[in-house]
Amino acid sequence: MLEVSGLTTRYGSISALREANLSVGAGEVVGLIGPNGAGKTTLLGTIAGLLSPDEGTVTFEGDDVTRSAPEKLLRAGIALVPEHRRIFVDLTCEENLRIGAITVPKSDRPALLEEMAETFPVLRDKWTTPAGYLSGGEAQQLAIARALMSKPKLLMMDEPSLGLAPVLVDVVFELIENLRSQGRTLLIVEQNAARMLAVADRAYVLRSGEVVAEGSGKELSARSDLFDTFVGG
Amino acid sequence: MTELAQNLIDGLGRGSIYALLALGVAVIFGVMHLLNFAHGEMITVSGYASLWALNAGWSWWLVAPLILVVSVVTSLVIERVAFSRVRGASDFTLLLTSFGVHFVVSAVFLLYVSASVKNFSRPSWISSSTWAIGSLRIETFDTVVILVTIVTLVATTLLLQRTMFGLALRAAAADFDTARLMGVKSDSVIRGAFALSGLLAGIAGVFWLMRAGSTTPSAGIDPMLKAVLAALIGGLGSLRGAVIGGFVLGIAEVLLRSWLPDSIAGLTEGVVFALIAVLFIFRPGGIITVATAERV
Amino acid sequence: MLTKLFPRPGRDIGFPLVGVAMLLALLVGGGTLYQTILGGGAPERLVTVMLIDAIIVIGIQIYIGNTGVLSFGHIGFGAVAGYVFATIAITPAEKLKRIPDAPFGLVDVDASPYVAIAAAVVVALIGAFILGIGLARSGAESGAVAATVITLALLFVTHEVARNWPDLTGGDRAGLAFEIGGKLDDRLPIIVTLAIALILARLYATSRSGRLAIAAREDNLAARAMGVNPLVQQMVALLLSVGVVAVGSSLRVWHAGSILPNQFFFDYALLTLVMLIVGGRNSVTGAVVGVIVMTAGREFARRMGQDGFEFFGIGLDEAPLDWVFRENLQTVFLGVSMLAFMIWRPVGILDDWELDSWLRRRFSSGDEPKPEPLPELDDYAHQTLEARDIHMQFGGFTALTDARIDATTGQIVGIIGPNGAGKTTFVNVLTGVITPTGGSFSIDGKDLTGIASYRLARHGLVRTFQNLRLFGSLTVRENVEVAALVANDHRTERTRRDTDSLIAEAGLWEHRDRRARELDYGNSRRLELARAAAMAPSFLLLDEPTSGMSDSESLEMVEQVRHMAATIGAGVIVIDHDLGFITGISDVIFAFDTGRVIATGTPEQVQADPLVRAAYLGGSAPA
Repeated sequence: MLEVSGLTTRYGSISALREANLSVGAGEVVGLIGPNGAGKTTLLGTIAGLLSPDEGTVTFEGDDVTRSAPEKLLRAGIALVPEHRRIFVDLTCEENLRIGAITVPKSDRPALLEEMAETFPVLRDKWTTPAGYLSGGEAQQLAIARALMSKPKLLMMDEPSLGLAPVLVDVVFELIENLRSQGRTLLIVEQNAARMLAVADRAYVLRSGEVVAEGSGKELSARSDLFDTFVGG
Repeated sequence: MTELAQNLIDGLGRGSIYALLALGVAVIFGVMHLLNFAHGEMITVSGYASLWALNAGWSWWLVAPLILVVSVVTSLVIERVAFSRVRGASDFTLLLTSFGVHFVVSAVFLLYVSASVKNFSRPSWISSSTWAIGSLRIETFDTVVILVTIVTLVATTLLLQRTMFGLALRAAAADFDTARLMGVKSDSVIRGAFALSGLLAGIAGVFWLMRAGSTTPSAGIDPMLKAVLAALIGGLGSLRGAVIGGFVLGIAEVLLRSWLPDSIAGLTEGVVFALIAVLFIFRPGGIITVATAERV
Repeated sequence: MLTKLFPRPGRDIGFPLVGVAMLLALLVGGGTLYQTILGGGAPERLVTVMLIDAIIVIGIQIYIGNTGVLSFGHIGFGAVAGYVFATIAITPAEKLKRIPDAPFGLVDVDASPYVAIAAAVVVALIGAFILGIGLARSGAESGAVAATVITLALLFVTHEVARNWPDLTGGDRAGLAFEIGGKLDDRLPIIVTLAIALILARLYATSRSGRLAIAAREDNLAARAMGVNPLVQQMVALLLSVGVVAVGSSLRVWHAGSILPNQFFFDYALLTLVMLIVGGRNSVTGAVVGVIVMTAGREFARRMGQDGFEFFGIGLDEAPLDWVFRENLQTVFLGVSMLAFMIWRPVGILDDWELDSWLRRRFSSGDEPKPEPLPELDDYAHQTLEARDIHMQFGGFTALTDARIDATTGQIVGIIGPNGAGKTTFVNVLTGVITPTGGSFSIDGKDLTGIASYRLARHGLVRTFQNLRLFGSLTVRENVEVAALVANDHRTERTRRDTDSLIAEAGLWEHRDRRARELDYGNSRRLELARAAAMAPSFLLLDEPTSGMSDSESLEMVEQVRHMAATIGAGVIVIDHDLGFITGISDVIFAFDTGRVIATGTPEQVQADPLVRAAYLGGSAPA
């Protein structure tokens, strides 16, 4: 479904991403792990159209979508749950979800809202509360639900477990499991390598902007030198 | 006591116009981080359009909608020609671009019309009609202004809270990039903001021009100043703050004028500016501060 | 004393004076040529007005160019100066006619215009000082909206006062006027003032204060982290610039022979601003070029708009050409210029190119010997840094709990931890960017909690930034010099290394005269390090110095940091996500997670610690 080839993104003279290659097949859950500063967020940001790559291509369902604007990519079927969630804090939960559905026909929206309320029951209680009052865990669920409102073909998530207490991390990964069993296609950046590898079909390890390892979730978690891969040398 | 009440009502009348103007400025700032020093140009252009129409025999009932249309169109044209090309530029550049637009518009009228003040006829009920509650004498004009403003503010609130466009605007103002990730089209939302801003300026402009009864190439400076100052008083980034700022400015002006001794009553404007300067010295974020964190 | 103000007199005084002479020749010579060729009174007046405008624009440049704060208030000061000048210099007889009820006994004051100018400057400076305090209080920095609004308010206040105080100013319609013959008809005072203005403008920019102001303009936070107090430098720039504008405005009134409130209001403020912006606000040469270009352009536009003007034989009076070329064309020209430049070249024609800098690069001997490598320091006063119980709360979010650290000069301490662990927040606390909600830290027992950034830098805590913060338009040398200038005043008890030696040590000698923003990433990081080292710090706090580097570059960085620290006898505290880098460089490591220290020890100990491994890889730690 998604093909990334030779992607290189620079900030001024910093090469945040060097010749990155990855692919995501329909129905797969693919993880992107690695130390921070490795370029994982840059990679997702480039795919989602927030950043412009200097070299390389991004292909989605056969179409070249390199350098497309984020709003076009969403309409093509790629949704991103950004790092730090970035929910609209002054808008209510419902409004956050509605905005997520801006590209969906009006008649479909009520059904979608109902679906989200079912899947994320904690949000139902906070339906009309400004999203700024949500706890970290609730905010993460809202962010994911918001992205799902656009009925994406590919859902990308940037560090969904960031800053969450362990019990909430469980909730997040449970959610990912559910999405996976629904047959959704996911590309997830995670710092929590162990949990990610447990739930992923395949994963890539990024360090200093380059892909240094790839394989199935099982293969990579079996590697005893995983910590060293992070450390380098 | 009566005098105070009288002043308050006068202040509300002025403040209403300022509130509408300030809201227009705040809407643009929300989505583009641009402080629009050309906001008054909608009124300049509308002023000349009214001049032409009234001289051609139109009645004010037709001129008022004309002003609204001209305002919106002017706003959109300015966005297209100037502001669309400086999106994302530094604050310094954005500030100067809007000054540049002001400059060009007033220069064009200077070029093609003249520098002199052009008068046009005002509706008769402006100055003559008043009504009374007890010992208070209230101008019909002020009443109409306040009522129309309330209706406009309510309508704008409904637009922002109940429509998809309003939701997109609020989301874009909160976090432009994330709004785009949700599918909000940046072009659409910015143009929509300018159209809304133009409409608000137009409504304020109808009353401004009715009261002024004249126009000059630099007619835009005064409303622009009021708009910008009021929006800043309320705290840039807050729509509610802009409206409050407008009313605060209007009431402060009227109160100051009545309190200052007659000999320096002409300095009211000056005192207002001085007080605003002092406000910004101690509260650079305005009365209602919208906090922004700096990424180190 | 001189080298305190001007680090390199040849570069900082010699060449600028040559440049000033050339700019003066350009303005005066060019103008004289123009008026001689065309002949007549009008061209002569045009040139005189241009020279006066140049003085004022250069004055404004001293402030806007060096601080980056957009000010509309200078013309307001011009108004003040103009009125002070007029009310003193106009003969008592004239004053009796126009402002018989003038306060302060002004009607009887009979002084020479030069005394009047001096008085104008004094009054304007007092006002500028008060404004300066107000601007400082509002947190003025490059691009600050509040500061611009305050200056705009000042412009309007002076205008309103001038219009509404007829006893003093003659009011709106009548204004104040000189008796015929009292006007300035000699160009010499103008040329002398222009020369002085140019000299002041250039020498300020190359002086210590100017350099520090420019650094703050480039990056306010980084400047403060280098011990610069931007507010002081901005005040100096403001006073100097208002002084120049005051003299120029007095001359303007003297030459015109009259003053009206509208002459020092919005239109003139915008005109002078456009001249500065078009030429290039960050350079004096740019200001001069802007004045010439806009004066010529306006004049040309004005002529084209006049009846009877022909352009290469084409009359411009018939339709459709007369739709564009008509009276008042010059105002449109002004507005369109401003807009066009903002859209297509916001930095102006010359950006920050200076004539004398170019001359120096072309004609100076160029062969500077590369400095000798610096030896490592053996003998220096050891200092210890201690932080305890640091607590940092942001609203409902606790970023740090019981955070602590111990560091000694000569030692390298590493801080590691996953994203969101609070590492940068901790460094922000130690460098005064934020004040902790609890706990304290000290050097050798001296409590430094809650002290402002620039003071902490002067006490020896100097940092680099996660998001590179160089002074982009300054050269490598100038970047390092900023820190050295501060260190020469505030770090005298430590060994301060020579700027050039540090640059060579960082491997940047070939790039020493290149602008910082042109450097590649690795060199940029090394420059940050050299600049911090120039502050002669007791402790270098490096925030992710290898972020974005490849593995081989990170390895080089290890040696660079270690050696640089050793040449200045500093302790190092370094945060990084690159565990390879950290374990390679640190003597001791503190591991953070969710805002607290979870482990500390040697790199081997910390790497083997299960809590640390769990924090990085996730999953549950063994019981």
